[in-house]
Amino acid sequence: MDVLKLGSYTFSSRLILGTGKFSNSTVMLDAVRASGAQLVTVALRRFNRQQAEDDLFGPLSTIEGITLMPNTSGASTAAEAVRAAHIARELSGSPFIKVEIHPNPQHLMPDPIETFEAARILAKEGFLVMPYIAADPVLAKRLEEIGCASVMPLGSAIGSGQGLATSEMLNIIIRESTIPVIVDAGLRSPSEAAHAMEMGCEAVLVNSAVAAAGHPPEMAEAFAEAVAAGRKAFRAGLMEKSGFAVATSPLTFLGTF
Amino acid sequence: MPNGIRYPNVDSLYNLTMKEMSQIITIELNGEQQPLPPDSSVNDLLSIIGSDGKSLAVVVNDSIIRPNNRSTHQLHQGDRVELLIFAGGG
Amino acid sequence: MRALPEWLTDNRDTAALAAMLSPASSRSLETLAAESRAITLRRFGRTMALYAPLYLSNYCSSGCIYCGFASDRQTPRHRLEPDEIRRELAAMKKIGISDILLLTGERTVAADFDYLQRSVAIAAEEMPRVSVEAFPMSVSEYRALADCGCTGITIYQETYNSERYEALHRWGPKKDFIDRIETPERALDGGIKSVGLGILLGLSDPVEDTLSLYRHVRHLGRTWWRAGLSVSFPRMRPQTGGYEPPFPVDDHLLARIIFAFRIALPDTELVLSTRESATFRDGMAGLGITRMSVESKTTVGGYSVSDSKNSREKRDEGQFEISDNRTAREFCAALRNQNIEPVFKNWEPSYNGPSARINYEREVDRSASTITPETETCH
Repeated sequence: MDVLKLGSYTFSSRLILGTGKFSNSTVMLDAVRASGAQLVTVALRRFNRQQAEDDLFGPLSTIEGITLMPNTSGASTAAEAVRAAHIARELSGSPFIKVEIHPNPQHLMPDPIETFEAARILAKEGFLVMPYIAADPVLAKRLEEIGCASVMPLGSAIGSGQGLATSEMLNIIIRESTIPVIVDAGLRSPSEAAHAMEMGCEAVLVNSAVAAAGHPPEMAEAFAEAVAAGRKAFRAGLMEKSGFAVATSPLTFLGTF
Repeated sequence: MPNGIRYPNVDSLYNLTMKEMSQIITIELNGEQQPLPPDSSVNDLLSIIGSDGKSLAVVVNDSIIRPNNRSTHQLHQGDRVELLIFAGGG
Repeated sequence: MRALPEWLTDNRDTAALAAMLSPASSRSLETLAAESRAITLRRFGRTMALYAPLYLSNYCSSGCIYCGFASDRQTPRHRLEPDEIRRELAAMKKIGISDILLLTGERTVAADFDYLQRSVAIAAEEMPRVSVEAFPMSVSEYRALADCGCTGITIYQETYNSERYEALHRWGPKKDFIDRIETPERALDGGIKSVGLGILLGLSDPVEDTLSLYRHVRHLGRTWWRAGLSVSFPRMRPQTGGYEPPFPVDDHLLARIIFAFRIALPDTELVLSTRESATFRDGMAGLGITRMSVESKTTVGGYSVSDSKNSREKRDEGQFEISDNRTAREFCAALRNQNIEPVFKNWEPSYNGPSARINYEREVDRSASTITPETETCH
């Protein structure tokens, strides 16, 4: 059985769905169901009396087979992320935490130093730490060393829809990693998700591409199928690339066959 | 509103006695001032703001207050209280 | 016997390499060479790192059937004393060498760890870069070597086929297949900065061994990800004892193995020694090989005796026969002829010492949470 292993948890779905940016929670819940996702990200927000319907915990917990992966968005330092993780675990009961620390609210690029620090503390406390990082191969290895459950490098900037702009770096991260590599952020189309899986990613995390699609539940399903197809292709083994152009024969020193 | 202090929920204060009125405390709730009757517990606060407390994390002065302690945990003047829920996020 | 390591049979990412090595590969040797050349040029430029071996001792406690220094060979045994080592180093420096590989046999009383450590210290005074190809050691021994200035070790598994290995290593400490396969890990744990791996082509099925060697490189690279890794492709040469390799590897297969390795491992240093002919070495320079030995002597004391025209070299037989007998000067001229720059010094000894181990516990918990859950929060 080909499953995604994170800590002692296993998942048959390799699509992780974010729940932000949907027009309303009915559409979001439909999209979660359609995606078949078993890991779903949520964010911590201050309770607001005027908008009680904001709470997602109740509705999401009615969908069977869902494990929540709270994120630490809003944190701009390691201390804030650790604090958010503790509260999130209290609320969700889930050991998963997506460490996401972006000091700049415009581009939302992750801070590598604060992320590393928060991940180190949380991993030691027993969390299954899923750090959202720039596609930096050395940072990925450092995070692996301190016991993260996966690394989640970005394909391109959050919400940018630029696809796998970092594919060269992603290839290195995938090649060198002993923990699952999950592409998080930047994907726009299911074909990009399939491509990430063909490259050897263990899963992809998608949010904007579904939430901002014309018909989110349908797009969620399309992503699920693309991820499954990409994974199948990876396991089947892509055929060899066709040969390199040869200008001159450099092998005269070997003599004839 | 004097000194920029907002009293977003004063209904619960109407049936207090004069003595109780004089003992009203003010806490900081999600960054805003919130008056409370004296000797209020976390659960009292939740009912004042109309929450059943389910799927809600309560943090008082940086300590998480779990559901089974909310009826006994008393709030004091100046306590910083955070109420947090899960919302959509990626 | 302990179980074989899991990675040895991990087929996760060997498919592409296996396809290139297959005799039925859709890719001709020429297309592999062209891609290998392009990758090598991109990653390493037009350079060739040069080193030379220095045989400290030919005492040996093992009975490797293929080796000219096996303990049952009649070859005279020597060990270089400190002043002889200095003489050798001086002779090597004269021909331009600044990167050396110190060699001994398996651990013996004559050439034990203390002897090796002293020799490394002497060599490190003279040479910017000192590596060791000797016997398997413990983590603390490797750390002590690193402290003395050893930056790299070479330890060939010879063959990754454990049954063939058992048959080829008739007696002695080298008989322990698992201990040997774990040696690079101990070296890296001990702070040795780079490790050279290899198979002795001719001993076992070359394609099978090449795939295992690749798995070993990948395993080490993934886990000891700060380590420098290099790979050699020594082919059996005629040697004392006259062992006939049962799986001879011809030039075409060796070339295919080297090209395929370069394509599969674009960043790994690939090494070719003077075992190979001048023609083959010149041909492979620029196509995939990035490090070569030069003007090697495989006899104990070979550099200073040939320098002084002493006769001992004639009397002694080396570990194997040298095929490329050119001098460093001749070899460099041949490289330059191909527009490849010979690089003698590629390391600065101020970087010597065990590689840094990062102690995460030492870092201050400056961002430890101020939140203290009332009770255990794990659900």
